[in-house]
Amino acid sequence: MPSETASCLDLWAIYPELVLAGLGLLLVPVAAFTHGRGRWRYLPGGLAFTGIVAALGLTARMLDWESQTVFCNTYALDGFAHVFKLLLLSGAGIALLAILAQFRGHNQLAHAPMALLFATLGGMGLSSALDLGLIVLFLQMLSLPSYVLVTLVRTDRASNEAVLKYFIYAAAALAVMAYGLTFLYGMTGSLELGSIGAALAGDGDRVWIVLALGLILIGYAFEMTLVPFHFWAPDVYSGAPAAVSGFVSVVPKIAGFAGFLRFVLYALPDGTGGWPMLVTLLAALTMTAGNLVALRQTHLKRLLAYSSIAQAGYILIPVAVAHEVAGAMSAVGYYLAAYLLMNLAAFSVASLWERTQGTDRLASLAGMGFRQPLPALVLALALLSLAGIPPLAGFAGKVFLLEVGLEGDLTWLVLLAAANMVLALYYYVGVIAKLYLERPAPNEEPAKAGSGVLYVATFGISTLGTLMLGVFPSLGLELTDLLRRLV
Amino acid sequence: MLSLVIFFPLAAGLVLLVLPASRPRLVRWVALLAAVTELALTLVLLAGFNANGGLQWETDVDWIPSLGAGYSIGVTGISLPLIILTALLTAVAMVYVLPERQHTRGHAFLFLLMTTGLIGVFASRDLLLFYAFFEVGLVPMYFIIGIWGHENRRYAAIKFFLYTRAGSLAMLLSFLGLYLSSSPRTFSLDELAAQSPLSGTGAALALLGLVLGFGVKLPIFPLHNWLPDAHVEAPTEGSVLLAGAQLKMGAYGFIVVVPTLLPQATREYAPWLLAIALITLVYGALAALAQSDLKRLVAYTSVNHMGYVILGLAVWGLADDGDVRRLALNGAAVQAVSHGLLTGGLFLLVGMLQARGHTREMSRFSGLLQAAPRYSFLLAALAFGSLGLPGFSGFVAEFQVLGATVSEQLWAAAVVVLGLVIMTALFILVLVRIVMGELSLPEPNFPDLDAREAIASVPLVVLSLAIGVLPFLLLRYIDPVSQQLSTLP
Repeated sequence: MPSETASCLDLWAIYPELVLAGLGLLLVPVAAFTHGRGRWRYLPGGLAFTGIVAALGLTARMLDWESQTVFCNTYALDGFAHVFKLLLLSGAGIALLAILAQFRGHNQLAHAPMALLFATLGGMGLSSALDLGLIVLFLQMLSLPSYVLVTLVRTDRASNEAVLKYFIYAAAALAVMAYGLTFLYGMTGSLELGSIGAALAGDGDRVWIVLALGLILIGYAFEMTLVPFHFWAPDVYSGAPAAVSGFVSVVPKIAGFAGFLRFVLYALPDGTGGWPMLVTLLAALTMTAGNLVALRQTHLKRLLAYSSIAQAGYILIPVAVAHEVAGAMSAVGYYLAAYLLMNLAAFSVASLWERTQGTDRLASLAGMGFRQPLPALVLALALLSLAGIPPLAGFAGKVFLLEVGLEGDLTWLVLLAAANMVLALYYYVGVIAKLYLERPAPNEEPAKAGSGVLYVATFGISTLGTLMLGVFPSLGLELTDLLRRLV
Repeated sequence: MLSLVIFFPLAAGLVLLVLPASRPRLVRWVALLAAVTELALTLVLLAGFNANGGLQWETDVDWIPSLGAGYSIGVTGISLPLIILTALLTAVAMVYVLPERQHTRGHAFLFLLMTTGLIGVFASRDLLLFYAFFEVGLVPMYFIIGIWGHENRRYAAIKFFLYTRAGSLAMLLSFLGLYLSSSPRTFSLDELAAQSPLSGTGAALALLGLVLGFGVKLPIFPLHNWLPDAHVEAPTEGSVLLAGAQLKMGAYGFIVVVPTLLPQATREYAPWLLAIALITLVYGALAALAQSDLKRLVAYTSVNHMGYVILGLAVWGLADDGDVRRLALNGAAVQAVSHGLLTGGLFLLVGMLQARGHTREMSRFSGLLQAAPRYSFLLAALAFGSLGLPGFSGFVAEFQVLGATVSEQLWAAAVVVLGLVIMTALFILVLVRIVMGELSLPEPNFPDLDAREAIASVPLVVLSLAIGVLPFLLLRYIDPVSQQLSTLP
């Protein structure tokens, strides 16, 4: 196997990543050059979107490759990595459209795509990384550009506050996690997940393993927005421009799930350290707390933030049994695909509303269904899908989650999830009631016309995707079944 | 063909959405045309249906092969009448709303979408598909109540949504339980029936989930709480579909899905079901007696009427004699159809009263016979039908269930008769109060039934009479299915 340094430089294995990285670097000067130059400001966005589509195509071509590791066993090239990369790239692509739509005419239009590309790259790396060093590196790579995105509107106080909170929380969480990772190195003398797993499965010291797991989990839980490490999310989502919130609610979260699954399945095989039980508890806590707090929200972005926390709780159900139930990985992947589509649909409507109305107060949505039928319909379908109503993607996703949970003997968690889904319906439908059951306030100005081509494209892709995935779940399942292929 | 019947309303609804909003009349007529076409399509199904031929008009294609769920549809002798009933009531509703002008496109779309969901439920032979259609049938009603309803519509709409959703999630978990214990794993109704995978506690829990899911829709006591609010607040045409067709999803579940999937568990817990049925029956009747709001009154009579459905299932579970079991299921199935016709009609008539008098208070109306004789006559017909007068479909249904109950548990039959007596008193009282007596109306101008209203309501009475006089017309489709279900262990 590749012991010589020369054979470790497997650049052929990371074409999609290279495309994004090259494009990101290219965009640095291009963004500076096109900054403030009329139509040219669309160039970086266009390039970035093309790059993402190209990376999607390149990754899709790798799907039938044999599973292998490259770069001296530090980087996995398997179905798991490919599918997660496809999810991340799709999320990034749709989010990019929404961001371009929201920043149309804004002087930061040129810079946003660059940050988005680098963050996506970090997420992609995380789904492949098999080495503790790389994991830390990619986590940082995921986070730093996200800060930039959140604070794109430099004059906005809410954004600045949000980014500060984001930065401090992230720095603390990732530092604690890195500390935990050093324990693993100390116990096993290896940085490589596979060898760590082999060493720990034998006779690792349980106390230290549990301690390390606890510390490491904080970093991942931060990215996945699990309660009680979720406090940053509502503030950041509501402070950032809605389209950016959409990105932050999707790409880092998917990357977090990818990274966490990769980590526990390799470094802590067969539930070493009791991580399944820990995940089960976090799932129960996250879905319940997320939904309960969401009930009381008065602003759309905050509501979506808590909803996305609760959704993360649902996704943890199959994660908790990922090591023993065959269909678990597929259920995670499928739900993440559904989640990225429906969540981005909802956030892009919030983004349109923010752009045209300057607010995301739920009260301002009153009668939207009669004033702006298209965005209202998109939002309503997204919320119904989040609530799990057939025939939308969220429904099929929830069926798979519950099925896997029951199969893994987590009956109590499944019952709790079902109760949560009823609870969640209340606030999702509350928003829908605003859209369709209320009349617009008479003194309110009529909405500014025109949602723009970019918004229509965002709406179209995410909503049609939600419908297609829900009506024909096998389309997605064929892909997500590949998640079981691990090197 | 059956797929066409299921999805034609949806397609027509989508076409309606692109019609110009400025032409509400056009939208209304196109919607009516679509509903009538759909009714004609269901009659084509009937024409090609062989009453003794078991499952027909089948289609079975893969849907989610990795889960063993298929797009598997077909009609039986019990589902076919319910499919026709749904299409008929949709057409009736579309006739009734012809003059309404508020958001016509959305209104028609939601009704047609609901029709697709409802017919899909009755046609599904796969549990996951059944569940998906079940919810597709439910969501439009939320908007119908919430947008076109009366004063307290938002509260009623969300209550309706939450109750049904909680019930249907319980049902989903039961389905998943059945799926996981089957081998090879499948969601197919017929394969699961053949495998009968669950027993003991598992079966009991699955039965509980199904009773919760279908019980909310039927409704049974104590899960009925959403129903009066939903009915009172829903627009008239919404109430017609809610009572006439939506409750039948619960009825269909109890008559067909529960005994097919969990025959032993149903037998084991039949005494509990009997208790629920009797409480539901008497409670519905007593609660109806206490109402002064006519719409709420009719809503509670629904609770009583639907009690016969679960009573039929309970007797099916208790009885060992195949003929008794068959009689019970026949009665329950006829009740489902009959209630759709009679209560659908009653809601229409109450709606007409409200449209004229702007109130539903019973005490405000008196002496209708003098002002509106045709209306009064129709109301009397529906009331007599609902109280179970021989000659109407309700009698056929209730008599069969009662007969089966008598041969199984005499005391239970006594309780049923008590309910029957209260219902009789109730409807006679209503008639005496508002039809007879001195003329006193909330509005001086009180026109009699016009042509549109007559076209909407008379067919329901006629059909109920037809079934009442010639029960064979309906029973020849239902009986083979009941007979087959009665041979289950």
